[in-house]
Amino acid sequence: MSIDISGLIFSAISLMTPVLLAGIAELFVERSGILNLGVEGAMLIGAFAAFMGAYYYGDLGFASLIAALSGIAFCTLFAILTVSLALNQMVTGLAMNLLAIGITSYLYRASFGWYVSPIPPHIKETLKPLDLGALSEMSIVGKLIFGHLPHTYFAIILAIFGWWLLSKTDIGLKIRAMGEDPQVADSLGINVNLTRYTLLLAEGAIAGLAGSLLSIGYYNMFLDNMTQGRGYIAIALVILARWNPVLLIAASFLFSMVDALQLRIQALGLTYIPPQLALMLPYLFTIIVLLALGRKVRGPAALARSYKRQR
Amino acid sequence: MNIERQVNLVRALLALSSIGLAFVFCIMLIALSGKDPGEALFWLFYGGFSPALIPETFIRATPLLFVSLGLAVAFSAKIWNIGAEGQLYIGGVVTATLALHISGAPSPIALPMLILVSGIAGALWALIPAILRAIYGINEVITTLMFNYIAIYFVSYLLNGPLRDPVSLFPETTTISSSLWLPIVVPGTRLHLGVILAFLIMTPIMWFFLKRTALGLKLEILGSGEKTAKYAGIESVRMIIIAMLISGFMAGMAGGVEVLGIQHKMRLEISPPTSPYGYTGIAVALLGYLNPLLIAATSFFLGGIMNGSTTMHRMVGVPVGMAGIIQAFIILFILLGYFLEEKFIHRIIGGLRKVEH
Repeated sequence: MSIDISGLIFSAISLMTPVLLAGIAELFVERSGILNLGVEGAMLIGAFAAFMGAYYYGDLGFASLIAALSGIAFCTLFAILTVSLALNQMVTGLAMNLLAIGITSYLYRASFGWYVSPIPPHIKETLKPLDLGALSEMSIVGKLIFGHLPHTYFAIILAIFGWWLLSKTDIGLKIRAMGEDPQVADSLGINVNLTRYTLLLAEGAIAGLAGSLLSIGYYNMFLDNMTQGRGYIAIALVILARWNPVLLIAASFLFSMVDALQLRIQALGLTYIPPQLALMLPYLFTIIVLLALGRKVRGPAALARSYKRQR
Repeated sequence: MNIERQVNLVRALLALSSIGLAFVFCIMLIALSGKDPGEALFWLFYGGFSPALIPETFIRATPLLFVSLGLAVAFSAKIWNIGAEGQLYIGGVVTATLALHISGAPSPIALPMLILVSGIAGALWALIPAILRAIYGINEVITTLMFNYIAIYFVSYLLNGPLRDPVSLFPETTTISSSLWLPIVVPGTRLHLGVILAFLIMTPIMWFFLKRTALGLKLEILGSGEKTAKYAGIESVRMIIIAMLISGFMAGMAGGVEVLGIQHKMRLEISPPTSPYGYTGIAVALLGYLNPLLIAATSFFLGGIMNGSTTMHRMVGVPVGMAGIIQAFIILFILLGYFLEEKFIHRIIGGLRKVEH
């Protein structure tokens, strides 16, 4: 069995984009003390909205925009329920995800008919990699790091910028403070709810965009529940990265290597590795790495605790 | 009226209005898609609750009830086991495999043993996330979800590979010997002994366990905060593992009973893809306020909605996925209900204090 290593690394860099995007957004939200399991649903809604935009208007830029907007709408609802009304974040997130699965599959059928045909509706064009001309032909390294979707570079820049913002600036300090103890942060004059709303809305936009990669980037169609737990994996990667944006790049890349390997195994059609076992690999890997590195990792102290502002 | 009765009244009203509001949203969605909501709702209720179809509703409600009784135990300790779906699949596949190997065994001994084994299989599948949470502090929502994917892919591998019935067109095992089917209780229907086990045996047992035993109380104290539990001298590590094992046991049993009572083989669609028992059970447990008696009623209700939405799909063309949307809305409105309840109860208690003074 020969597996082309540089090809594998190239596809891993490409595949890590959605989990890294969703992960960095979730990381900020978690640092402020909110656990948003709804990131999975926001990705799914984004995937659906992007596909519909691309299918009916044929413009991928517009499709990406409505993916981001629908993600924002989804996370706004989550923010109202968990920040303003201080409802249980885990249960709200799970319910929102059920809602996302139900609504996307319902609207999909409402638009394309009640029975999904063996050849689902698809779009003609998908997102194009950033064309850097001669740069991407330079060397092996050039071939690996150039020629990805613009989203990939955006994700990496966002992670590095996020690290700077979180650890070197006043804003970052405030976010971390409310993740440790929102009441103290509030008493110091930091507007906890406003900050959390802002971060959640940003997460909606970024997660929606991350989801759009699935339906208009890697594939050219929408499938029921096509995120397949990618949002949950992003949350697991945040734990692995110990809530550090730069480590998150490494965690996402590592995870995506397994994902790329899994796809390669399936594509090779090896008879001694059943496809179901290959599909299982990314989830199994996440658990094993969590066990190895995620033990006794202390997250933000106020994570997932409902906080009601004292008047 | 005493406080408890007033509180229960408020709860009942809020639960009913949650369901009502969920329906209002769904009627709007049906209308938006150009179908007649009146006709759709008629078939929804006909398919779920017309007298002739009641046994089928009980059958549909049975795996839901097993799952949600178990989840109630974990949730009352605020352990968010989302892994019932995977635990159900493992319980089902282990039961079917074992049943195929002991096809000649006398059923009075084999059936209880098979059901017990299905529970143990489910509990063992919950054990790793339980240990990860209790000892290493790793969020159980993430691990149990990952375990669902692993379980379903694993079962899918088994059913496509080593366990596959060679003559079947579908990924499923061969049919188990009819001597190992759970006996039918009401002739002329599919109502099997597992329904009785769920509604008349496990429901009271779990009610007694949660409401009347020291262990049940300890779990509830753990649920009110690990600090409180520590002051009360409760070992949270042990409690977390116990809570997860019980909920895994019940979910595994859901799979085993479904195999022995209805499917008579292990299939990949043992849990309906549009509203999987393992995830729907979360809604049931919450809607039932983690009280086994209310959970039994809720399972019956949601079982009816699930069956009814299949009928609605066949008769009017509304996608079966509607059951999922209704559930999602129900959970969200229930959460809102919890929020309102807290306010109401404060007011009730405040009001009574005024009367006393």
